[in-house]
Amino acid sequence: MLRVEHLTKVFPNGTVALKDVTFQVPDGEFLAVIGLSGSGKSTLLRCINRLIEPTSGRIIWNDVDITALSQTEMRNVRRQIGFIFQQFNLVKRSTVITNVLTGRLGYVGTAQSLAHYFSKQDTERALNNLERLGLKEKAYVRADSLSGGQQQRVAIARALMQEPKMILADEPVASLDPVLSHSILKYLELLNKEDQLTVLCSLHFLDLVHRYATHAIALKDGQVVFQGLPQEIDDAQFKAIYGQDAQRVSII
Amino acid sequence: MAQSANSSTTHLTKSPTLAALLSLVIPGAGQLYLGARNVALAIFVASVAFIFLIGFTLDNFRAGKIEIGGVETSWLWLLLVAFWLWNVWDAHQRARGKTTTRLFSLGIPILLIYIIAWQVTDPNFARLVTRFSDVQIIFNALIHPDLLTRDTETQAGATTIWVPCSEPPQTAAPEGNSGLPVGVNKICGTVGDTLVMAGQGFHPNTTGNVYWLEYNGTNEVQIRAAGQPVLITTDADGKFTVSFEIPAFAGREGLDPTAPIAQGIQARFTQEVGPLKPSENFQVLVGSIAQDPAPGWMVSLGLRSPTDTVPRFVPGGIFVTIGLGLMATLISIIVAAPLSFFGARNVMARVRGGVIIYYIARGVFNIVRSIDTLIWAIILVTWTGLGAFTGLLALSIHSIASIAKLYSEEVEHTDPGPVEAVTATGGNLLQNIRFAVIPQIIPSFLAYSLLRWDINMRSATVVGFVSAAGIGFYIVESIRKGGYREYAAALWCIAIVVLIVDYLSAYWREQIVKNENKISTEPPKPFYKTRRGIFYTILFALVFVASWNLAQVDLGKLFEPAPTFVSVLSDFATVDLSIPVWEQITRQLLITIFQALLATTLGALVALPFAFLAAKNITGRSARTRWVYYGTRFILSFLRSIEAILYVSIFVFWVGIGAFAGMLALSITTFGLIGKLFSEAVENIEEGSVEALTATGANRLQSIAFAIVPQIVPPFISYAIYQWDINIRLATIIGLAGGGGIGQLFANYVGQLQYHKAGAVILSIVVIVTLMDLASAKIRERLV
Ligand SMILES: Nc1ncnc2c1ncn2[C@@H]1O[C@H](COP(=O)(O)OP(=O)(O)OP(=O)(O)O)[C@@H](O)[C@H]1O
Ligand SMILES: [Mg+2]
Repeated sequence: MLRVEHLTKVFPNGTVALKDVTFQVPDGEFLAVIGLSGSGKSTLLRCINRLIEPTSGRIIWNDVDITALSQTEMRNVRRQIGFIFQQFNLVKRSTVITNVLTGRLGYVGTAQSLAHYFSKQDTERALNNLERLGLKEKAYVRADSLSGGQQQRVAIARALMQEPKMILADEPVASLDPVLSHSILKYLELLNKEDQLTVLCSLHFLDLVHRYATHAIALKDGQVVFQGLPQEIDDAQFKAIYGQDAQRVSII
Repeated sequence: MAQSANSSTTHLTKSPTLAALLSLVIPGAGQLYLGARNVALAIFVASVAFIFLIGFTLDNFRAGKIEIGGVETSWLWLLLVAFWLWNVWDAHQRARGKTTTRLFSLGIPILLIYIIAWQVTDPNFARLVTRFSDVQIIFNALIHPDLLTRDTETQAGATTIWVPCSEPPQTAAPEGNSGLPVGVNKICGTVGDTLVMAGQGFHPNTTGNVYWLEYNGTNEVQIRAAGQPVLITTDADGKFTVSFEIPAFAGREGLDPTAPIAQGIQARFTQEVGPLKPSENFQVLVGSIAQDPAPGWMVSLGLRSPTDTVPRFVPGGIFVTIGLGLMATLISIIVAAPLSFFGARNVMARVRGGVIIYYIARGVFNIVRSIDTLIWAIILVTWTGLGAFTGLLALSIHSIASIAKLYSEEVEHTDPGPVEAVTATGGNLLQNIRFAVIPQIIPSFLAYSLLRWDINMRSATVVGFVSAAGIGFYIVESIRKGGYREYAAALWCIAIVVLIVDYLSAYWREQIVKNENKISTEPPKPFYKTRRGIFYTILFALVFVASWNLAQVDLGKLFEPAPTFVSVLSDFATVDLSIPVWEQITRQLLITIFQALLATTLGALVALPFAFLAAKNITGRSARTRWVYYGTRFILSFLRSIEAILYVSIFVFWVGIGAFAGMLALSITTFGLIGKLFSEAVENIEEGSVEALTATGANRLQSIAFAIVPQIVPPFISYAIYQWDINIRLATIIGLAGGGGIGQLFANYVGQLQYHKAGAVILSIVVIVTLMDLASAKIRERLV
């Protein structure tokens, strides 16, 4: 169970990105976070694993107050939370397998990892995860030689190396074309259903939300304006979230 | 659009007369009143600078000196007045929303600066012509460097004669024919008599000379006619006849008929025989083979008997230099790579108090970098004494700072995305650096390291000027002895080595950019298990050991500095701030700056036409002109492969010691460097715009004027300013070889053990180089 309570983030330049955000995510849920560009989706997801330090409020995950942890304790929490980025954030010049292995860094000692030493099990696990995402034969090519969709799958494999209990995905498909969007989200759905991982995923397109999410919250100017089942987002809700002039569009 | 209209209306509300008046009293004040703050500041600073410059150079260099009614002053004040008047006019025009022409705002300052630069550098171009015949020795030497020789074989035959004839004349020639059979047609004679000499038995068809041998055979003189040596040529049978006059030399001991002296005449043919072989000088420069007794292990293995010798290569000066360049590069990579993270803002921002460390690191890099390797060498000699090791330290220190700065910038330019991702997986700072930062920066680190190797190689050729090791030292020595053929040989060696390093460095950098993208499905073998890996590891180890030995690395020396070292160091640190010293320094700094300015201008102007000749898209395409392309390229690379300070001695010999010689030396390297940069700018011309203009019906000249010129003028100016920046750095050391300027002053102070003053010189160099660096970067930013 993830509980976010009165979370507020004010950036040093005065921008209020999140204002008193409160919601709950039971384990095993696929939560979609929607909202206009600039509404605070990325900030929210990054606050949850403290890539961004929240200004106030609490984040409680499995009865641990994440906001109160020290940096070293935070490392242990972070390794249980996979993060998937819109821009993939792979190290482009490293090989695919090295990128996947970096998902293991939270578990191995610093000195050992600095020498680029990973155990046999870790390497096998990395290959298995790549196989699961259909990328086994690409293990030893450089990451920048892959297509966008393949790179995002490498990023998912990297997150899986963490053996995460939860996955945070910040617009994982915004840089991909519609067909690839579905293939990536299907993998996330698979992990959600098969491995019982909690997934928090920010999405732009409403029909993707309808298709994959079990719950949804909507942000507007840093505040939660909707919380409920995806089907409950009717036209009135839609206009409240996206503004009066917005049009519903669908992809595929 | 709306904004500019706005600002001009606000100007209209202000009074032109008041603006003009304000500017009359204080230059720039009117502009400030009108809100043009940057212009105001520029005008004010320029005016103050000009007042100082004109006054100072009048006193120190008699710049623009004239006498009016017994008062000495400078006519350059007229230019200041003109500038001042322009500033008043500009304020007036500005208030009415108009602008004034650049002709005055830029023209007057540029004119003034060049006039002063001219007076300060004191060029004497006439000498280049009048003393040309003297310097031909050097050009001859350059064409015939002392690298190769052949064995010579001499055939000679001598006969004898009495000088003068006695009363009555002698009846027989003196005793003493020697060598091959020769004879003359007289038994005796006096100075001026014509002799006919004949001989036989020599090699057919060869040419030789006749020598007059003194009575006791110790002195000799070559026989000349009308200033030229008399030549004798054998026919197909090896016979010759020649006629000449008895030289005045024959009468040196007097022409007393009662005491004639027996003297000799020799026909001598000297021929080069056998194959070309390295000269002695070559062995000093490049190396020689020595025979050592066989080492114990070879004997005990039964490979050699104890009496055998084994050959050993004794490396010459150029190898010491190569070793220094390699070792310094290696040291600086190893030291600078970790240091560079302290100079990277994005990394240090993640550590508490890191930003302060960042500023300190960057500050130190910049200060250390602005002091030239040679000056570091002078300082370090007080620590580790003369020798290759001191040269290595000097090279390394300068190189560490330069390369650390570049590395830091590269670390700052890394993509933050992967760092965020690694943090999200639970990685800490060190793991982040290892997995997210280092993979990103490796290619540019390698490229910078290779570039630095090239630069270090060049610096290593001159560091011997101070540290007394390597080829630089050899050059100092040969010039001191007037051995220009040795000097020329060294220049050739340097050019060849630097050109090779230059090529390798560029080639490997290109390979990095191409970045091999290997597709493999197998896990790659670890580097040390591949055959290539083993080969390179062994090669690296060998090169490392060789360089270590050549550079005479002696870490122990670091811990046993000369007893005076601490006091010297504290003297350096307690900088002398007295006025007379700083007046001296200002004087020399002005020479340095203006010398660099003139050298840049001269070099750039001369390079201008050559840049077109060396541009691939102009001469490199058609087979008919390709030789021009390659020829010009080669000349440019050759000239820039030799450091400016090595050229100084040529010009000191040619036009005399001083700033002018230094300026000419600088302009040679400028020519080489800027010619290359310019030609690249020409190569980057977008042909599309030329085509577009031609399509509109423009003729060739029009398309050059409107499509090509606008494309190359900004990069040309930008490169020229960049070059000025480089030249000021070079000019700080050119004085060490007699090229005038601040380097000379520094060497003098150190020579006189006045380290307080030397410290002051270093401070001034740091300040001026840093300022120029900033200014040049700013101006170039504007241009692009
Ligand atoms: N580092 C920062 N410093 C200051 N303001 C920031 C920073 N990062 C984000 N913001 C601001 O916070 C607000 C929320 O940004 P956020 O990136 O969370 O929005 P988003 O919903 O993810 O938008 P998008 O759909 O465009 O990704 C925006 O107004 C943004 O400008
Ligand atoms: Mg976002």
